[in-house]
Formats: sequence, structure tokens, C-alpha cells
Amino acid sequence: MSSINQNRFSPRTTRLLFVVILILCWELLPRFGYIPTLFLPPLSDALMALWGSLSEYLTHLWFSTQAIGLAIVIACGAGIGLGLLLSTSRALVGIAQQLASSGYAVPIVILYPLFTAWFGIGMHSKVAFASIYGFFPCFLGTLAGVKTIDRHYITIARSLGASRRQLIFRVLLPAAIPTILSAFRVGGSLVIVGVVVAEMLTSAQGVGYLITRYRGSLDSAKVFAGILIVVAVVLIFDQLIRYLERRTGFWRLSTQSSENVGA
Amino acid sequence: MQSTDPMVRISNLSHTYQSRDGLVPALIDINIEIQAGRFVVIVGPSGCGKSSLLMMMAGLLAPSQGTILCSGHAMTSPNPDIAGVVFQEASLYPWLTALENVEFPLSLKHVPKKVRRDRAQELLSLVGLQGFEDRYPHELSGGMKQRVSIARGLVQDPPLLMMDEPFAALDEQTRITMGDELLSIWEKTKKTVVFVTHSLTEAAYLADEIIVMSARPGKIIDRIEVDLPRPRKYEMMSTVRFAQLRERIWNQIKH
Repeated sequence: MSSINQNRFSPRTTRLLFVVILILCWELLPRFGYIPTLFLPPLSDALMALWGSLSEYLTHLWFSTQAIGLAIVIACGAGIGLGLLLSTSRALVGIAQQLASSGYAVPIVILYPLFTAWFGIGMHSKVAFASIYGFFPCFLGTLAGVKTIDRHYITIARSLGASRRQLIFRVLLPAAIPTILSAFRVGGSLVIVGVVVAEMLTSAQGVGYLITRYRGSLDSAKVFAGILIVVAVVLIFDQLIRYLERRTGFWRLSTQSSENVGA
Repeated sequence: MQSTDPMVRISNLSHTYQSRDGLVPALIDINIEIQAGRFVVIVGPSGCGKSSLLMMMAGLLAPSQGTILCSGHAMTSPNPDIAGVVFQEASLYPWLTALENVEFPLSLKHVPKKVRRDRAQELLSLVGLQGFEDRYPHELSGGMKQRVSIARGLVQDPPLLMMDEPFAALDEQTRITMGDELLSIWEKTKKTVVFVTHSLTEAAYLADEIIVMSARPGKIIDRIEVDLPRPRKYEMMSTVRFAQLRERIWNQIKH
């Protein structure tokens, strides 16, 4: 502990410092010609470009957000739901884990051309692609979460005559919530990646589409404006998950730490 | 209930389980009768199957052979109206407060909120935890958690309380306090208690009757009526009678 205390900067300060340095480099290096502005336009140029075409970006952001929202509902709903459904059988969990981790290893992006052939280049193919992309971590995370649940929780519920439904909703689900949330974090981030990648590959709408279009016309400032929007979306999603984790997972960290103290 | 019928009747119970090396006998020819209101301790070396036996009595595990009647009901599945179970790890749900943990069994039965809240409150007072209703398990000490667990076991007012080494994870001092606490709860509630332990001292201190089991395969090798007066006092542990009791158990299980 003492070595941590001796550190001159708190983690928070270090983080802040890092961001400030990054922003300064981004602004100053291209500004003074150390990096060609075609590769990296100064941050202020990107922000100006964003401001200049704000309505266009917001329109496309709205398309992306819809796709992301829908795909998160599908991916996490199916992943977490199916995981919980299987959760009462150990054998099923084992089989599903093997199948799903093999499935997860397949780079699903190679299927995207197929998706556009099946669903067209609109909302449907994006959502379908991103949903599958996000499904696997949600499903695997839920299975892992359910598997690590203290078996005593289940024995207690059985000794109290809990029905299968009560076991799932009153015991397994609350016990797995912290793990499910981390699955949701990974799954949700992958959904965002999935939507943006889909838009960049073949699409006529969304922030990813804008990035590709402006890259085609060598308008770097506008490309980076789009990137900034994607980063913002990811950060907001991350904060949302953190909030949920704080609200629901308070007991997990504290039980772990008290167990460590006891041992 | 007729006074002639025992609270627990285990007849010709045997259990074998499948391991990699084939069938392993775990329990052989167990016959037990426990009269209502008694405090019975099952003691035996680790791995003798005493915990399995308790799980069978609670309906959580099916024996290969034999029958178990608790309060006249065959325990083929858990029945919390007949037997409350307390495990070694307090096994409270960490996302529920102490009060909610005690309420939990009633909420599974859809007992109205007000009723179960009052009942849980009553039980927490019984185990000496008034004022701790809103604490989460991680905010409670090991002994307090086990108190909540006992309150949860009693909340449906079952005639039987089954306890599987409930104080094994506690430190010596807390363990003695909890033993006294349990005896006073038992005297107040008039429950029949079946208590599994591997501690000879605990067995002699708590029990009306001690059932001694052999190492695997578990058989009943002795039944001891404990004639120490009640209420039990800590000082009794240093009496000759107490030492004789411990020695008798020890001589049975040391082989």
C-alpha cells in the first residue's frame, strides 16, 4: 500500500493528465506541421467540421443510434435470456459454452456481404449483423456468470421449495447480475463496433457511412468529426454501464473483499 | 400430533454413490427415531456421511434405500413447512438485507408483505438482531450471519430445525456464544433440532442425545443420552461428567 501512496499523482490526476497531453498533441502536432493534416487534422479543425455540418451528423447519428439500440436489445436480450434459460442445467451450460465459444471465434464480419444480400443495405442488415456480433459475448458472459454462482444459493432455494421459475428470477438472475453486466458491457461495445463497421462497409446511412464517404473525398476533418462522435457514443455507453454496475453490484465487490480479509 | 409418533423416523436407510471406482457405500443401515422437542446431535469423523444424512432428512438428497419420515411426511423433496435448514456457510443472499433474507422463504410462498415483514422482524429479534434489519450480509459478522440464517430457517415455523455444522466456520469464542444462543432459542421455540457436527465438545454441550457415526461407510456406532442438567453452562465443560462424555465419543470414533 505504501508504494501506491508514495506515487505523486492519484490515478484520477494521471488519467486527466493523459487526456490533456493527448488533446494537446492532437491539436499542436498537425498545427505545426509535424503530422500532415491529411492524416491527422488538428482537433479544432475536426470540431469545426463537426459544428459546420452538425445537422448532417446528428441525422446520421440518429440512424446509428436506432440501429445500436435495436441491436443491443436483440443481442443482449437473446444472449442473456438464452443463457438464463439454460442456466438451471449444468450439462446444457457446458455444451452451450463449447458451441458458443467456437461460434465466437468465427470472424462474423465475413458474413456481412451475405447479410446485405439477404436484408438489403438499410437498417435490417446492420441490426442483424451487430446483433449477432454482440450476442456471443452476452451469451457466453451470462453462462459463465451463472456457472460461478455459489452453489449454496441454489441449495438454499431448493431447501425452501423454490420453483424453477423462482430459482431463475429470485436467485440466479440477481446473483448473476454483476457478471451479466460485464457481458452487457462487452456485448454492447461490440454492437456499437458492429453497427459502425456495417455502415462503413455497405450502407447509405449512419455515422460509419459518413466516415467512409468523407474519407473517399479526402476530407480528413470531417472523417475525424465522425470518429469523435463514435468515441462519444462509446464513452456514454460505458458510463451508463458503470452507473448500472454501481447500482446493482454493490454487494459483489464487498463480499469479495470481506472474504479476502477473512482468509 | 400424537406424542407416540416420533418427529423423525429413519428406517433401514442405506446410501451408495457412484464414483470412478464403482459404487461406494456411504451410509449403511441407518435407523433413527427422534422424539419431538429433542436436541439431537449427529457426530462423526469428516466424510462419514453425516452431512449427506442431514441432506436426506431435509429432502435435498434421495437415499438409495430406506425411508425418512419427518412429522409423518415422507421427505422425498424439501418441505420448508416441516424442516428449516441451516448450512455451514450462512448462505445468505448478498443482494438482500438481513430482513429480506429472513423474509425470502415467505415471499416464495406469496405471503403478503406486511405479514412476512412482521414475522421476519419477530424472528430477527428472537436471534438478537433487532436494529440490524437493513444491513446487508457483508456488513454483518460471521456469527450475525449465522443468526440471520437461523432466523430464516425458523421463519416458516417448522417443527424441525436441521443444522449442518452451522458454527464450524466461526471462531471459538463466537462458537460458544452461538451455542448458548441456539440453546436459548431452542428452549423458547420448542423445536426439534437435528445438529450435525464433528466437534465432540459441541456435541456434548448442546445435545439431549448424541448419535455417533463411524468413518465411511457411515454406520451408527453409539447413541448417548446426555444427562447434563439444563440450562447448560460454560463451566460444565470442565466437569468430570463432561470429560467422560467426550472420552466415550472419542473412543468410538478414533479407530
